[in-house]
Amino acid sequence: MDIGLEYALPILTDPIVIGLIIAGTLIGVIIGALPGLSSSMGVALLLPFSLYLDPIPAIALLSALYCAGTFGGSITAILINAPGAPPAVATAFDGYPMALKGEAGRALGIAAVSSVSGGIFSLLVLLFAAPLLARIAYSFGPPEYFALGVFALSMLASISGEAPIKNLIGGCLGLLIATVGIDLTTGVERFTFGVPELLEGIQFIPVLIGLFAVTELLNQAQELNREKIAIALSAVKLPSLNDFRRVKNTILRSSGIGIFVGVLPAEGSTMAAMIGYNEAKRWSNRPEEFGKGVIEGVAGPEAANNAATGGSMVPTLALGIPGSATAAVILGGLQVQGLRPGPYLFEEQPGLLYAIFFAMLIANILFLFIGLLGAKVFSRISLIPSTFLWPTVFALCFVGAYGLNQSMVDVWIMLVAGLVGFVLKKNGFGPAPIIMGIVLGGLIETSLAQSMIIFDQQWTAFFSRPIAMVFFILAVVSLAAAQFRSLLAKVLPHRK
Amino acid sequence: MKHENTIAGIILIGFCAIAYWLTTGFSEVSAMLSQNVPPTFFPRLVLSIMALLSIILIFTGIGHKPKSAEFLPASFWKTVGIIISAGILAYFLGTLITLAVIAMVLPIAWGERRYKLIAALTVFLPISIYVVFTLGLDVRFPTGRILEAVM
Repeated sequence: MDIGLEYALPILTDPIVIGLIIAGTLIGVIIGALPGLSSSMGVALLLPFSLYLDPIPAIALLSALYCAGTFGGSITAILINAPGAPPAVATAFDGYPMALKGEAGRALGIAAVSSVSGGIFSLLVLLFAAPLLARIAYSFGPPEYFALGVFALSMLASISGEAPIKNLIGGCLGLLIATVGIDLTTGVERFTFGVPELLEGIQFIPVLIGLFAVTELLNQAQELNREKIAIALSAVKLPSLNDFRRVKNTILRSSGIGIFVGVLPAEGSTMAAMIGYNEAKRWSNRPEEFGKGVIEGVAGPEAANNAATGGSMVPTLALGIPGSATAAVILGGLQVQGLRPGPYLFEEQPGLLYAIFFAMLIANILFLFIGLLGAKVFSRISLIPSTFLWPTVFALCFVGAYGLNQSMVDVWIMLVAGLVGFVLKKNGFGPAPIIMGIVLGGLIETSLAQSMIIFDQQWTAFFSRPIAMVFFILAVVSLAAAQFRSLLAKVLPHRK
Repeated sequence: MKHENTIAGIILIGFCAIAYWLTTGFSEVSAMLSQNVPPTFFPRLVLSIMALLSIILIFTGIGHKPKSAEFLPASFWKTVGIIISAGILAYFLGTLITLAVIAMVLPIAWGERRYKLIAALTVFLPISIYVVFTLGLDVRFPTGRILEAVM
């Protein structure tokens, strides 16, 4: 199979790309380590500035940040019991108790090695599976893409959040936002309210920054007195070889889980980490020790959440369907760069897959050292007072939203998105489904319109397309599974 | 949260109704131009699904007791005021001066009293943004009406 390795060398020898990958890794670990700042928000904040770069360096930067940000969250989860990002929540269950026992270094070492292992496994899958999936997708027409979009939306029902219904409503809201502007088929203005800046639609980046960063700023404004106490790292012991032997199977199992969950549209690192933790506990000989500080409880979620990063890039690149919220942001970045994520991407930008692969690989190797050697520094960064951190984040939001088109309308869109996002979040509607809806909106509407034209308005003709049927069935199964889980939680409330 | 689902569902249905009504104001195009897929088709389809989901949401909240009202702290309302003011201030003072004001006011509103650090942030944040974005990336920030009038 020709996977075009000739494209790898120019990327590996370009000092700018390497420099950006290193910068992305460092920024990612810092962002991940700062409570409240997630990799999604980090990528959203960096996205407007990456547009000043060529596509390959830009995507390399964002991919490295995605990987490193996912790992960075574990540092604060272990040291101060404040997961820097949602995927690290499960890491805190056993990581923090280990830190309290004076084993912070051991926990960080296990987290770093597990993350790197999970990450590298998933990258190998990305390298080989993405082009294969893209080849399969060559045969997709508009009906198949529409069905795939419906399947991706149906997966929103089962992503982490309070309720499947609310996630689906969030997805619909995103689809609706995507309809604002001139309809490409007919040239008719939709929901523009006479504002010329809305004719091209609501810009993706200001909405993204608003929903992720401004919403979190408002959230932080409510929790100003939360105390953060760093664990002393002066006398910590690092993991032993015996420790690594002990978690070997957990890492392998969780990597598989993470890759599978990541490849599923819309599912991301958070869910992978939770499943990784639960499975580590279920397979353990000492499940009663989980929650009191066992290394498997750190290895399970960390291998899974990082494996999900590479996994989530597979449908993002090969099909144009985001595998996670952060992948949705990167997908938006690809689109803003003028690229067409999907089967033709590898033909048009053959180096892109390698840029992402090497960016994530280098990020993984770098944060192994950062995790083992720099934890002390990053634990200090996590203690930056929120009174100084968040005004700086807001300034970056402001500049990021403005910088794209140098328009104050975008700044207002960001502010409104932030306020609306906060109200929605307070009522259990997360930002990720809305972002998914916005990203998928164009694809779903266009493919539906084209399908209806092909089928001469006979929508039942969708069922005559086998691949489309498979996606529709998967969508029904996904919705039914989410509802079944919801019912099960009511019937068996003691089960978590 | 269950009782709040009913309220959220009702608000969402109201939103869907208004948005649906707005679609009636879209310009009409001939069936030939739209190829029988008018511009209202997709938004209305999405709104219908959203309304249906909202009805389900309403039913999930029926029969549950309302949660006691949650009061948001003063720091939250101050933050809302400050970020909205930022959008308005930028029009008059320009982006960089507005960001300097934010760097000063937001920490104070959040209870920070280390004034030397606040002063440092007030000075260095806009300068850093100017250096990176204007000098480095050629992003031109508006100078604001007041400065334009003075100059």
